[in-house]
Amino acid sequence: MGPVTVTIGKKGDTEPPPPRASWHLRANAIVVAWIALAIAAAVSPGVLPAPRWLVIHVFLLGAVTTAIVIWSEHFAAALLRVGAPERRWSITRLATLNAATVAVLYGVAVGPWPVAAAGAAAVVGVVVWHATVLAGMLKRALPGPFGHVIGWYLAAAGALAVGGALGGLLAAHVGNGPMYERLHAAHAETNLFGWVALTVLGTLFTLWPTVLRARLSPLTRRCSRLALRLAVAGLGLMLPSLLLGLRWVAVAGLAVYLAAAAVALTPLAETLRRRRPHTGAAWTLGAGVAWFGIALITDLVLVAIRTADDLPAALEPLLPLVLAGFAAQVLLGSLMHLLPAVLGGGPARFKQNAALLERGWPYRLAAANLGVPLLSLPVPEPLGLLGWALVLAPAVAFVALAVTALLLARHPQGRVSPAPLGVVVGCLLTAAAVAVAMSGGAGSARLDVVPGAQRTVEVTLAAMRVRPAVVNAPSGARLTLRVTNADAQRHDLRLSTGDRTPMLAPGETAVLKLAPLAGPVEGACTVAGHKAAGMTMRIVPAPAAASAESSYAGHSQHMGHAGMDLSGTAGTGQPSIARPEATALDPGAPMSAGWTPYDATLKPAAGGKEHRVEIRVKETDLEVAPGVRRRMWTFDGSVPGPTLRGRVGDVFVVTFVNDGTIGHGIDFHAGAVAPDGPMRTIDPGQRLTYRFRADRAGAWLYHCSTMPMSLHIANGMYGAVVIDPPDLPTVDREFVLVQGELYLGRPDQDDLGSRILEGRPDGWMFNGTAAGYDHAPLTAEAGERVRIWVVAGGPGTGTAFHVVGVPFDTVYKEGAYLLKRGDPGGAQVLDLAPAQGGFAELVFPEPGHYPFVDHTMPRAEAGAHGLFAVSAP
Amino acid sequence: MTWWSVIRFLHVLGAALWVGGQLAVSLILLPLARRLLDAERRAAVLSAVGRRFGLFTVTAFLPLQLVTGVAMAAHKGVTWTSLAQPGYGRILAAKLLLFCAVMLTAGLHGWASGTGRPAAARALATAALVGSLGVVLLATALPGT
Repeated sequence: MGPVTVTIGKKGDTEPPPPRASWHLRANAIVVAWIALAIAAAVSPGVLPAPRWLVIHVFLLGAVTTAIVIWSEHFAAALLRVGAPERRWSITRLATLNAATVAVLYGVAVGPWPVAAAGAAAVVGVVVWHATVLAGMLKRALPGPFGHVIGWYLAAAGALAVGGALGGLLAAHVGNGPMYERLHAAHAETNLFGWVALTVLGTLFTLWPTVLRARLSPLTRRCSRLALRLAVAGLGLMLPSLLLGLRWVAVAGLAVYLAAAAVALTPLAETLRRRRPHTGAAWTLGAGVAWFGIALITDLVLVAIRTADDLPAALEPLLPLVLAGFAAQVLLGSLMHLLPAVLGGGPARFKQNAALLERGWPYRLAAANLGVPLLSLPVPEPLGLLGWALVLAPAVAFVALAVTALLLARHPQGRVSPAPLGVVVGCLLTAAAVAVAMSGGAGSARLDVVPGAQRTVEVTLAAMRVRPAVVNAPSGARLTLRVTNADAQRHDLRLSTGDRTPMLAPGETAVLKLAPLAGPVEGACTVAGHKAAGMTMRIVPAPAAASAESSYAGHSQHMGHAGMDLSGTAGTGQPSIARPEATALDPGAPMSAGWTPYDATLKPAAGGKEHRVEIRVKETDLEVAPGVRRRMWTFDGSVPGPTLRGRVGDVFVVTFVNDGTIGHGIDFHAGAVAPDGPMRTIDPGQRLTYRFRADRAGAWLYHCSTMPMSLHIANGMYGAVVIDPPDLPTVDREFVLVQGELYLGRPDQDDLGSRILEGRPDGWMFNGTAAGYDHAPLTAEAGERVRIWVVAGGPGTGTAFHVVGVPFDTVYKEGAYLLKRGDPGGAQVLDLAPAQGGFAELVFPEPGHYPFVDHTMPRAEAGAHGLFAVSAP
Repeated sequence: MTWWSVIRFLHVLGAALWVGGQLAVSLILLPLARRLLDAERRAAVLSAVGRRFGLFTVTAFLPLQLVTGVAMAAHKGVTWTSLAQPGYGRILAAKLLLFCAVMLTAGLHGWASGTGRPAAARALATAALVGSLGVVLLATALPGT
């Protein structure tokens, strides 16, 4: 049997690059781009959501799966000696796969889960299609020595179909508690050892001898057939037993799979005995295969000693072995060998490209393989970071070399094409400028002045706050404050040093030149009540600043550990902590980027007499006040929970699922049922069905029914049910506002219960965010009739709901009209005790901004405040 | 609506003309010229377009942007010190630096195409275009007044 040569578009110098090479070039550029994205995701934890999940899936689903689809199709065509499948369908498959990958990444990381589930379904669809094409090629081909490889590809695709479907179920939040863990374990094992590893093993039968430039081992065919049968049997045994939690059957399946791997690697070892690896590609591939063996044995041991239910957590140390050790090295090794051929340009160019891609390979190889064990072993923090650096540096080097090679590819003379070069230069210039622009904390509430001579600090007065509220400066610093009043009313700033600005009209600026800083300086606005409302600032000299820094850092780290972040810069990745005091809310501060308000628009009741809804308990980090995130206990991920709406006599069938970590229940005020069964507390992972008929109209509260209810409600577990009174006239717009108290801190914080009992909330919220609708006003047009449904969520306070500027002409409270359209009287407030509800109607007379408030003014100033932005009709 | 709105309008209009002009030339004129004209006429047309655009830049665009930009900065109370400080100042400074780099690139483009270096000219033109989009990006990132 002769050596296998894989030739891709190697042509003479004079010929233009053939279309096949150009297609492969573009396709592989996608793979390189995904690798680059995976590196970016790995080095930016904390900035992106779900960083670890994202790194794994950008790499495995983006880079590895794309590479598998491209190359298995290519190898199948080359080995079977049949024509390549139609190009435009290959492109369609690749494009769909990439779009689906983006959908999965977006859906899980930020978007709604159906996007992720649809993406997973599309990935499975593409791979099944791909497998069908490969099977068709196998059928068309004459019997040849390499048909056995296609069997591996088909088995791999089958594994992905199952593993991908499991991934889709996970994205759709199917299964709770132990079931979720089992799905997770089965998903990971099937995709890694099925989709990735089977493809790799099948490919290595021919690729490994090619890379070593050796003859194919005579053992290949026999070993391949036997190994494939064993591998499929092993996976077939392992997958259902992982799902069912049958640990020892899973171990047996893994053992069979291990035997399959051993048989498959036998011809490779035989080849290796005859011919030593001498290129970077060969060594990298070899290292990857070695880590595959290690990962497999580790996996077998872990499955044997752990129960199926805590398997995913136990498999954590396996991830670096599989991702960085096995998958990454096999991918990079293969690309180092294959890319020069794809890049084309004749033998001289091939050599040049191969040399370029292998530049410094011994160092890259050494770094990566030192890094892998550091990542998977429980080593102290700095060594773990070193591990990341060692693993990522060679990957970065490869991406840089591959991009250079790809850019050079179009020009046989070695000149880079001008337009892409221009784009790269322009992007780099822009990126540098953006980096300069974004450096330093813009508008943050704290400012650190570095030691130096003079420094001008921009101070703004607005929305009852002084910004920055804390300035840390070295002792002796000469500060100049440029104080600007950015508010709609007059303010000034008076410092404890005696320096003061004149009373500043809106838009005015004054400059204060301070004496060298000797001690702490306090500042405040002298307008009556403004200091008490929070218009204060502090300038702290260096040593004191340092200690304040460390104590606050420790504080925030502690809270961050519990999954909560009180800092005003949450999610922006800025190191400086913006909030000077842990209990002060700043309603005027900007909301974080990406915050979306709870949609207050109330849609008309759906048709039909029966409404089926599913409500899941989720622990979700939400922005509860501008710049302040807090973990909330929620019904379905939002505060308030979803608003249910129906007509008198409608039946609601609520499937209540507890995806939280402690017990919860649910109580719908709108129905009449014996509380014993439906309002019971269910444990995490359990579900119950709550069925009630809404026989009476009104705006009703629903809330968690687990003791202490005050704590559960204060943590966010409430929502509204709106049952329309008969003959409710239609109006132009309807909104729903559920008012609730805001307590800062963790849901399980020690002093939270006592603060609730004493009735000392940190703020009040409409629809889950203090002052949220100040930043995202509700919209209406002048002359339109607007109905506002209001429910008081509590737990301890009701509301005096008022819209500034317009009296109500209709008020409906707790099942009865207090005032009807056409009555001569008007109403200024809809007053609700905790848990009461109703609605008020009004017509905005003219365009403008109409605040709505709880007219209990301290509550309005502490967040129970929003705006209607009324435009001209 | 004050006189400052008019100044800001002129500033934005100038930017729209310059960046939009570049985009129109690269996205619409160049591909059409490549398809419809032979090499000689294409060169003539494109160099004429380039000269006219350069003339517009130097005589109308640059003076307009500098005068309106400096006036708005003075009105907003921007000082040399405040340009270095995080927030408004630093974004403005980055925008000005990028604008200078774009002007430099555009100037070099004129020089390269005048001295028969088509590849360099193309690279520089693309860089200037992408960079000027970056200037617009930074301008939109400036906090409103």
